[in-house]
Amino acid sequence: MIELTIDGKRVQARKGEHLLAIARREGVEIPTLCHHEAVEPSGACRMCMVEVTRPDWEGWSKLVTACNFPAEEDLIVRTRTDKVMQTRKEILELLIARTPGSQLIAEMAREYGLDHPTLTVGELSEKCILCDICTRVCQNLVTGAISRINRGVEKEVNTPFAEVSDVCIGCLACAKSCPTDAIEFKQVGLERTIWGRTFDLVPCTQCGAPTLPKEQAEWLSERTGMKVEEYFVCVKCKAAQTARTYENIAW
Amino acid sequence: MATNINLDDILTRYPEEEASLIEILHDIQAAHRHLPRETMKTVAEYTGVPLSRVTAVATFYSAFSFEPKGETVIKICMGTACHVKGANLIKGEAERKLGIKAGQTTKDGKFTLEVVNCVGACAMAPLVIQNEQYYGKFKPVDLDKLLRTGE
Repeated sequence: MIELTIDGKRVQARKGEHLLAIARREGVEIPTLCHHEAVEPSGACRMCMVEVTRPDWEGWSKLVTACNFPAEEDLIVRTRTDKVMQTRKEILELLIARTPGSQLIAEMAREYGLDHPTLTVGELSEKCILCDICTRVCQNLVTGAISRINRGVEKEVNTPFAEVSDVCIGCLACAKSCPTDAIEFKQVGLERTIWGRTFDLVPCTQCGAPTLPKEQAEWLSERTGMKVEEYFVCVKCKAAQTARTYENIAW
Repeated sequence: MATNINLDDILTRYPEEEASLIEILHDIQAAHRHLPRETMKTVAEYTGVPLSRVTAVATFYSAFSFEPKGETVIKICMGTACHVKGANLIKGEAERKLGIKAGQTTKDGKFTLEVVNCVGACAMAPLVIQNEQYYGKFKPVDLDKLLRTGE
């Protein structure tokens, strides 16, 4: 274990542990957009900027991304200095210019005193901040159906050739992990549409409520060894099943 | 034309691993002057890289293109030094002579006109690159020669 200082408080951590993880454990709030517990930090959004220094740096300090900066002995971390706040404000100004339609970005911007953004370049319908959570989640945890396409101002998240993907399993992991709700999907009755593909949701074998697409159940089954049919029970019925099982256990 | 080069011949030059991806794409681009969409799936399977990431790489680098490029690719450098030395005039003249805009390919598939941002040979500004051949201190009239040799 090592000791470092975050906002004046001495805290303990493992050497190399990321600053963001330590701060959150100690109850110090650092804003993030591209951070997701399920995948490795990527330092893409720059919202988690903090100022670090050390006693032997003779007053010199630098800005780093807390999400992927490794902790070291005697590091002094300050999360709300003028420099940090100004940097975050500038980042938000650029983000809001790109995604004027995003409520989350607008709210964060207001917190940093950006009531009247001066720049707008994106369309009102644009919500994607290219934080890469969806593509990282899909590539690392699911089937890798989506990725970043093109570069620079033309960069976007999409399926290959913007065509219907045959590896997508309709799990919604991308849409649900998106911080700005930029990925659209539709679910009506037993149909779910995402990335231009419509999946049939299998009705719950007990009550008929929609469960998940067959493709997703098969994908899960391959990895867990559970039978495909076992996934076709909705959350409510599964809970009821579990409750009954426990009722029958003689304590 | 080298369009009859077999995809398998290209693939077997490289080990079946992620690291081979860009080299394979380069060879396909060289052989076909573009990346035929139908080959991407085979490349994905061979390298073990998801198709989505293959397309991410292919769309990231300007060396790759899904649209066929012309037999002769003419690149006009629009870097700062070339710009000051009149690269805009060369670009305008090339567009007029070929009847296309920068970034396009002539209908007969002979020429592709591109602009690039500095190729690092500013002392020779303004610069025009025909395929891999660099021409320095370029004048708009020199285009005639380039367009003829490309025929």
